Amino acid sequence: MNLAGIAVKNTRRNLFRTVLTVTGVAVAMLAFLLLRTVLSSWTAGVEYSAKDRIATRHKVTFVMWLPRRYVDDIRALDGVKAASWFNWFGAHLPGKEDQFFANIATDPKSFFDIYDEIVVPEDQKQHWLQDRRGAIVGSVLAHQFGWKVGDKVTLEGSIYPGLWEFNIDGIYTATRKSVDQSTFFFDWNYLNESARDSAKEQVGWIITKVPNPAQAAGLVKRIDQLFDNRDIQTLTMSERALNTSFLGMISTMLTAMSMVSVVILLIMMLILGNTIAMGVRERTHEYGVLRAIGFMPKHVSAFVLGEATFIGLFGGCVGVGIAYPLINQGVGRFMEENFTGMFPYFRVAGSDVAIALGLSLLLALVAAAIPAYQASKLHVTDALRRVG
Amino acid sequence: MSDASTTPTSTAANTAANTAVKSGGAAAATLIRLSQVGKTYYRGKEAVEVLKNLDLEMPDGAFEALMGPSGSGKSTLLNLIAGLDNVTSGSIQISGVDLSRMSEGERAKWRSQNVGFIFQTYNLMPVLTAAENVELPLLLTSLPSAERKKRALTALRVVGLEERASHRPDQLSGGQQQRVAIARAIVTDPKIIVADEPTGDLDRASADQILELLVKLNKELGKTIVMVTHDPAAAERASIVRRLDKGQLT
Ligand SMILES: Nc1ncnc2c1ncn2[C@@H]1O[C@H](COP(=O)(O)OP(=O)(O)OP(=O)(O)O)[C@@H](O)[C@H]1O
Ligand SMILES: [Mg+2]
Repeated sequence: MNLAGIAVKNTRRNLFRTVLTVTGVAVAMLAFLLLRTVLSSWTAGVEYSAKDRIATRHKVTFVMWLPRRYVDDIRALDGVKAASWFNWFGAHLPGKEDQFFANIATDPKSFFDIYDEIVVPEDQKQHWLQDRRGAIVGSVLAHQFGWKVGDKVTLEGSIYPGLWEFNIDGIYTATRKSVDQSTFFFDWNYLNESARDSAKEQVGWIITKVPNPAQAAGLVKRIDQLFDNRDIQTLTMSERALNTSFLGMISTMLTAMSMVSVVILLIMMLILGNTIAMGVRERTHEYGVLRAIGFMPKHVSAFVLGEATFIGLFGGCVGVGIAYPLINQGVGRFMEENFTGMFPYFRVAGSDVAIALGLSLLLALVAAAIPAYQASKLHVTDALRRVG
Repeated sequence: MSDASTTPTSTAANTAANTAVKSGGAAAATLIRLSQVGKTYYRGKEAVEVLKNLDLEMPDGAFEALMGPSGSGKSTLLNLIAGLDNVTSGSIQISGVDLSRMSEGERAKWRSQNVGFIFQTYNLMPVLTAAENVELPLLLTSLPSAERKKRALTALRVVGLEERASHRPDQLSGGQQQRVAIARAIVTDPKIIVADEPTGDLDRASADQILELLVKLNKELGKTIVMVTHDPAAAERASIVRRLDKGQLT
């Protein structure tokens, strides 16, 4: 038997209350870890952005188009290695409006110069380059819809109305996490031919590749200067900034989430503090007895802090113990498969586990600080006079 | 605790001391000496003078009973003797050590080495076994764990509860709990045992057992016992009975 052992045993005094408190701490930590994982995996998604790619879009909004010839103007600039363009197609499987996936028109010829991390078997790639109605789809997306090479797929357009037929020519994977594997890419020429006149020769955004990341910033300025005096001005930014602006709405949500996680921690602290304070109040007489026997104020506060530490850490461990499999095997896979672009890697980070456990401990100590101080300040004879 | 099972006749010194106390105590040295002790409590601005100019000497090896009406200051006096509280005026000397000059921390250390406590409501920790409760005061010493356990069991043997060592308080009767508390009080082998109404919560039979035990501690182990009680039958077991009324010894 030792002092720490007694502190731990004291948590059994009111087992029901301890179980409730541990559960409270565990749930708070689980919620905290979930939110943290959303935050850090989103940040990771942005971190994965390629540093040698820059994106150009309409100055006003992402929704408005740029003239197709801007691509050639950019290609003519010094220090541009390659440029390709993209149009958000915004179509869905007929009758399946709720099953969102990104479908984007691009120029197959320059596409692979830009996205060198996208891998398609050579024969499939060659096929796509020849096939006007061809499409390549990410392996995650192919798996989701059960598509195989050679399948015919019809999509129903909204920005570009009508039914559009495609051949699945290839299934791509990626060697880096900078692109998601659940996008449907198809030939822009197919779109351009069939689009209404006002939508012809228009592109959504242009991605430019520079030989090395150091030149990216300079080129961003030069591209925008180039179009400064044209009818339509551009806004050029790093791929990272593009990803961030894409997620502008979400990022506001994430800020709210991190605030919620702080609130959750505060609630956890209050629950714990209340449990500890109740215990101290009930045991005032007992602390008097301990002090009479010769225990010092520091021992009494150590009992209180020890008990809080145990409850906090135990609750934290339970929370982590639930969060780990839940996120890494359940939620995480779902997020990675369905929101690759935003959350390419949705797993509990070791650092977040450390933070969660560290906070469990720290907040437990903070929550117990006042009760511990009060317990240590008790006057022996007063405490002894206090009944149960 | 090693001499716990020895009989008084086997220790010449003990026998001599006990005889001295029984025969009037002229030869017994004074263990506890209170001179002009005053104790005043303050409730806000209102002062309550509980003890006033109290002089008192208790001989080594005595079994003292303190009686008196409720509110007369018995517990207050006992707490001062036990070093739980400090005097407002005057001084308390125990074995020549002046308690009234000690800091709170020094008194805590002194208590842990010199005083065993028995309370009316036993005050055992419910999550600990009888043996662990008895061992509790030894956690403040540097004794190794095995030695602490051994001493706790010896103390439990003295109170006749060795076979209940692994029981928790809620598995014991009131009388048994009080005996565990007595084992806890003697485990550090203190000179003095203070008991505030040790039989107050017990039926007659259990109370008698406890008193028997206190007499045994006094006679066989030479403990000086100061006991506050309302119970005349309890006071009868003591070698000296003092009465306190309105803060004065009568
Ligand atoms: N901490 C305190 N603060 C204020 N007043 C106190 C305090 N402790 C004791 N008193 C008062 O001092 C007086 C004596 O109290 P004490 O507990 O010593 O009496 P007692 O003789 O032990 O009584 P009882 O037989 O009821 O236990 C009482 O009037 C009590 O209210
Ligand atoms: Mg009293």
